[in-house]
Amino acid sequence: MKINKDTIVSIFLLIFCGIMINSSYYIEDPGYQGMKASFWPRIILWLLSIMSLVMLVKSFADNVDSIKAGSFSKINYMQFKNALICFGMFIFFLTFLEYLGMLIGGILFVFGLLTFLGGFSIKKSTNHLIISVVTIGVMWSIFTFGLKVILPEGELIRIW
Amino acid sequence: MNLSEFGKNMIDVILQAFASIVFDPVTLGLMLVGTLAGILAGAIPGFTIAMGVILTLPFTFGMTAIQGLATMLGVFVGGFSGGLMSCMLTGIPGTPSSVATTFDGFPLVRSGKPGLALGLGLWSSFFGGMISAVILVALAPQLAFLGLEFGPWDYFSLIIFALTITVSLSGGNIVKGLIAGLLGLFAATVGEDEINGVARFTFGFDEFRQGFAFLPVLIGLFAFSQLLTDVEDGKRAKSPLMEKSGTLVRVEHRQAIAIILKRWINLFRSSFIGIFTGILPAAGGSISNILAYDQAKKASKNRSNFGKGEYDGIVAPEAANNATAGGALIMMMALGIPGDIVTAVMLGALMIHNIIPGPTFIQDEPLLAYGVFIAFFVAHFFMVGLQAFSLRIFLLVTKIPMYVLASVILAYCAIGVFALHNVVFDIWVMFFFGVIGYFMKKLGFPLAPMILGVVLGKLAELNLARATGISDDLLLFFLRPWSLFFLIMAVISVIFPFYQDAEKGSKFSNIYVPASVFALAIPLLFMESITRLIIALIMIGISFYFVYKSFIKNKALIN
Repeated sequence: MKINKDTIVSIFLLIFCGIMINSSYYIEDPGYQGMKASFWPRIILWLLSIMSLVMLVKSFADNVDSIKAGSFSKINYMQFKNALICFGMFIFFLTFLEYLGMLIGGILFVFGLLTFLGGFSIKKSTNHLIISVVTIGVMWSIFTFGLKVILPEGELIRIW
Repeated sequence: MNLSEFGKNMIDVILQAFASIVFDPVTLGLMLVGTLAGILAGAIPGFTIAMGVILTLPFTFGMTAIQGLATMLGVFVGGFSGGLMSCMLTGIPGTPSSVATTFDGFPLVRSGKPGLALGLGLWSSFFGGMISAVILVALAPQLAFLGLEFGPWDYFSLIIFALTITVSLSGGNIVKGLIAGLLGLFAATVGEDEINGVARFTFGFDEFRQGFAFLPVLIGLFAFSQLLTDVEDGKRAKSPLMEKSGTLVRVEHRQAIAIILKRWINLFRSSFIGIFTGILPAAGGSISNILAYDQAKKASKNRSNFGKGEYDGIVAPEAANNATAGGALIMMMALGIPGDIVTAVMLGALMIHNIIPGPTFIQDEPLLAYGVFIAFFVAHFFMVGLQAFSLRIFLLVTKIPMYVLASVILAYCAIGVFALHNVVFDIWVMFFFGVIGYFMKKLGFPLAPMILGVVLGKLAELNLARATGISDDLLLFFLRPWSLFFLIMAVISVIFPFYQDAEKGSKFSNIYVPASVFALAIPLLFMESITRLIIALIMIGISFYFVYKSFIKNKALIN
């Protein structure tokens, strides 16, 4: 019996269901007639628990070879490199959105991502800078002036 | 209201809707841009039509409902013709909806007839779309009338069926599909309960009280996660979108139309396959184009020519995939159940304008409903008209590397999502669901059931609450004919993947179809309508015929 990705995911899902079912008992009951607020989520969570259990049993029972099942020693963690860069950049962008605003934050986000994903050289960086300024500038203008959406200005611009 | 008055009213509404689209230069302009964007989104491998429609959505916030929907329809219809452009010129299908077109389209191009190949694809799409548009106008109001018979029990069961069939048709592991659907339903329960106004699963965070807005979830699950997948392979992400970008060709319109009209049986058969597939929740153009191709091949006298540039092999998938769009719209317009991800987004767009589609939608919002029908027609004309121009842009766009497009679109997603409610929390929601979507895909979970779960979750709960509010007898879900009908359909759809895997000639595969037909006939028997009674009896007859046929076949095998 080998532990594969499905085993881990189903255990994670079972823990998730346990926590959520437990917190469903803390949902307030205002005492109105009719269906209680916790009824529908609890049905979903119990069904989800059953399905997760089926998945767990299947993951033990299936005699699949370790590569197909995704044995952890065989996973190429480098395949997630670019995705992780995107996550990191996006978290950075969102965290500093309040200070940088959508225009500056957006330009920095796109420029940073282009540089991380596309590589660094003077020619490339110049291109990346032009792309990020033009694309975000156009989008920002369309939303601000065309669609009248007030995008986050950022404290930095306010200080200026 | 008598029949002639009803007819007059309907013509009035259609004329008004026609005027609101065709005589409004703003709407026409938006549709034009939408169609062009759709053609490009469909043409770029890695981008899908659904993604094109999702990315269009933020621009529609500031528009009227009809302008927004017309723009999205432009993207939807344009996307199908974009898909055919890349598969013919480069041999790489731009969207899953044009996979079967590649089988004969690309060989025809290589044999030196690129203009004819493009013309055949383009005009087959046009005619397929037109046929489905006519069916849409005729069938959607009728289906909506049927929907008026539905009580909350029936509606709840219909939603369950929509979810199970999505799981069944999304391919892969059915348990994972069901888990994805349930996770979607659960995500829709977070926040204030609409019935009692009670907070659920907020864990003390005020932001959670509003729940997860549907569009950030959708953009995260679908667009954000797709972009992450697109840049995963660093080497590929840095190279241009297409190594072979194709050359500019002149489309042979007249010759193509003449060839298609000679193959009118194939055209109609494929269009009807497309419409039917579109009506089924979750079964989209990716399925219909292959089904239609397969049927065209079976029916053709020149089977051996398929795969070598056979005209019928282009007409069938292209007519079918555009017709699928009309089929998907029928379900959305008539019952408020999205036929695929694109119509789920349109449903979301309508909700932004406080319009909830359902059986009464066509009656309550006739101008908007018929406006959608007209826009669907008009978009097909734009699709044909824009082909030559979009071909030039397509050749330019294919030179851009994926990492550039992905980076810019990720930022655009953030701006677009913020524009929905002007809150940064929505961008976090999009990011969170983007990460979930990315890892779910990596772990083999289909995303379509989760998306449908999020879209239909609140509706399911509302109908369950209404049903239990009227009567606490849960047996009514099995005793009401329509509800039972949909629940049987749900069970059939869950078993369907096992039927597909079963060996031909095995007991299970022999019994599945007749048992399903028989089971579906039972609720029809109790529907108090002579027509439905006759249909039920015919279905019972068919099921017995199937059993008899397999019995004779087995007997012959034993002997």
